Amino acid sequence: MTSIGTGYDLSNSIFSPDGRNFQVEYAVKAVENGGTSIGIRCKDGVVLAVEKIVTSKLLKPGANKRIATVDRHLGVVYSGMLPDGRHFVDRARDEARSWRDNFKTPITTSDLASRMGNYLQAHTLYQSVRPFGITAIVGGFDAQEELPVDGQVGSGPSCGAGGKNPDKKYGGPFLYMIEPSGLYWGYYGAATGKGRQAAKAELEKLDLTGEGITLEEAVKEAARIIYVAHDDSKDKEFELEMSWISGRDGPTKGLHQEVPKALREEAERLAKKSLDDSDDEEEEKKEGDKMEE
Amino acid sequence: MDHRPQAWGRPRDDVYGAYDASYLNNSGPRTVTQSPVVTGTSVIAIKYKDGVVMAADNLASYGSLARFTDVKRLRTFLDTTVIGFGGDVSDMQFLDRHLKELATDESYEVEPTLDDEDDEESSSSKPGHLNAANLFKYLQKLMYQRRNSFDPLWNQILVAGLDSDSKPFLASVDLRGTSFTSPSLATGFGAALAQPIMRKYAGTEEDAAKLTREQAVEVVKECMKVLFYRDARSLDRYSIAVVNKDGIELKEDEQLEKQSWAFAERIKGYGTQTV
Amino acid sequence: MFRNNYDNDSVTFSPQGRIFQVEYAAEAVKQGSVVVGIASKTHAVLVAIKRNAEELSSYQKKLFPIDEHVGIAIAGLTSDARVLSNFMKQQCLGHRLTYSRNMPIRSLVDMIGSKAQINTQHYGKRPYGVGLLVAGVDDSGPHLFEFQPSGMTEEMIAFAIGARSQMARTYLERNLDKFKTSTREELIEHGLRALKESLVQDRELTVENTSVGVVGYVKETKKTEPFQVFDGHEVQRYLELVADDKKEGGPQAATVEDESTAMDVDA
Repeated sequence: MTSIGTGYDLSNSIFSPDGRNFQVEYAVKAVENGGTSIGIRCKDGVVLAVEKIVTSKLLKPGANKRIATVDRHLGVVYSGMLPDGRHFVDRARDEARSWRDNFKTPITTSDLASRMGNYLQAHTLYQSVRPFGITAIVGGFDAQEELPVDGQVGSGPSCGAGGKNPDKKYGGPFLYMIEPSGLYWGYYGAATGKGRQAAKAELEKLDLTGEGITLEEAVKEAARIIYVAHDDSKDKEFELEMSWISGRDGPTKGLHQEVPKALREEAERLAKKSLDDSDDEEEEKKEGDKMEE
Repeated sequence: MDHRPQAWGRPRDDVYGAYDASYLNNSGPRTVTQSPVVTGTSVIAIKYKDGVVMAADNLASYGSLARFTDVKRLRTFLDTTVIGFGGDVSDMQFLDRHLKELATDESYEVEPTLDDEDDEESSSSKPGHLNAANLFKYLQKLMYQRRNSFDPLWNQILVAGLDSDSKPFLASVDLRGTSFTSPSLATGFGAALAQPIMRKYAGTEEDAAKLTREQAVEVVKECMKVLFYRDARSLDRYSIAVVNKDGIELKEDEQLEKQSWAFAERIKGYGTQTV
Repeated sequence: MFRNNYDNDSVTFSPQGRIFQVEYAAEAVKQGSVVVGIASKTHAVLVAIKRNAEELSSYQKKLFPIDEHVGIAIAGLTSDARVLSNFMKQQCLGHRLTYSRNMPIRSLVDMIGSKAQINTQHYGKRPYGVGLLVAGVDDSGPHLFEFQPSGMTEEMIAFAIGARSQMARTYLERNLDKFKTSTREELIEHGLRALKESLVQDRELTVENTSVGVVGYVKETKKTEPFQVFDGHEVQRYLELVADDKKEGGPQAATVEDESTAMDVDA
């Protein structure tokens, strides 16, 4: 690698002569070794999923959660250095709280992504800290109806100035991915971690921009994509963790929640089935390939 | 005419004289709340065998003016606890926001994943979450700390729910941090007007444990009626909550029924009447 | 002096995205003597091998009570463990005073996790050189957590950390299915058997070098059996549980491998 031995990669915030911050690039490497995380934004909600590699049989199954809730309507999943991910979540929760203190209303997904993007970026500016060794996916559902202000005790005027406009719609489902550099974009489908390439390829096949898929379909796709992205040869076992967020009239009532066990198991069953089916096809193909070789 | 922004909306000095800045209290010690401003009156609550019933009317008064008539003074916490606020409404709103933050922090705690095989008793008091007794302890510390920093939250608070043993829990704390518990409790005028009635039905814990939910609700409704008759800062629209192991049932826009003001004629001794 | 340019501090990533200082801190954990923890549906136990610096000196402490309902076992730098232990004690006490309940174990462990993570991201700080097993009970039952210098915390069914702990872990993996329904005594027995696996040749578990800690949850009364550490003659009856292959001869003077237990690990 060109960076090694030049000395420009030995501390954070130092530009190399060609304008790169190598420490940030190395932090990305830490992400690329982590279990795959994905997020899918569909018409009526957001799904987050993560592949948790089982590093020891002694781990308590299902007890160690990797997807965290921020406020009540936002979910965060991350790949890379897990303690850094915990730090990210703690900070996100602080941001959500201070937003509520200031504005008496929940933080929107885009505002949280912006705040956290700034926070990660700040960790690329100084030699006294290192960048975050994670890429985080933030999903949320911003309320579509007018919410009461925090602490509101009455209903206020029912008409006239300050009256309600019941037809107006706000918010909706949102998905962002934040990288160690602080860079973030909004996504229809986002993937990071070890299996991101395979996952991205699968996400691109989904119709997320046009007619769209339903939240429940997205849950099943998310499970399938994690199974596709998992590398059987390198890692033995993994646990699938999934969460979802719908609008107030959807299954989670506007809250970020773990996908119910029954639905997750159904999604996993379908994922395994589709994987087996395509394995059969591939085997047929491979046999053909070998002949050519 | 003075067109500078800082003078906008001010009475004209040439007509009304300069503003008397001494009202701003720029000198002297820093002062905080000396008295409540917009206030709610009584909150009453009574235990019964499986839970607690609580009620408060929907009025927020500005002195003697009935200023806001749709104010919800019973708040819920985590679907397990009901908190009733008497006293200053803005302090109640502060506490409400504070409790919402606390509830959000609580929701961050991972729900324990129960193993399928284990048939855990299906009580709705979520293990690992703050129950009414835990929350009350917290509020008690908060109220006492605020009074010790000479900046009290001007409220009387009732907390109802279940304790760690899933028994009905009811306790009160006020702006001084004074706290106590009893089978029935009432704040403000209710302490004088409603408590004697409630004590007839639930004088002791044993008596309270014999009351049914229907009886408790009846007693509370009766008390709300008496309070509306005799408390000039009250309203006949009220909120009533029942909390037990199945959760909370909160009705926020109830109307006092079967009022009869016939008794008013018999009241003598003050006012404009001549004996 | 250094193995490479990337291991001077904890704010430098290696080209592979590793932080060597944190990995070295994890090595300090392996210098400590072994500790084992197991949780069942009703109890969580910690057992430990204690070392003594020399034959005439006392044995180190490996198990620390944190609060009525929590205890920890440590492997690595004892002085770092004391910092974490103090912090955990304060948090538990504060929580008990404000809410009058047992602090949930996961919140407690998350807090030391966050604390440790900070040390891996700021210049001038160093990671903690200690690993912990945290055993406790809260409203949701008994729990066992592992804490690493990286700030990683995970809930385990059973685990072992410290010198030669792999052998103990192998034993635990072999018996994994039994723990959930084990009784208090069975759990201690498994713990001690796992500990035995990690012993070097000719070494025995003795009343001098073994510590046992137990915390439990009594379902009927919904009360906790407070965390309690058994040392010295109190562990005799537990040692008898695993004495089936006991050798003849008097109690062996427990001289321990002369691995250092002092702060000089990262010097």
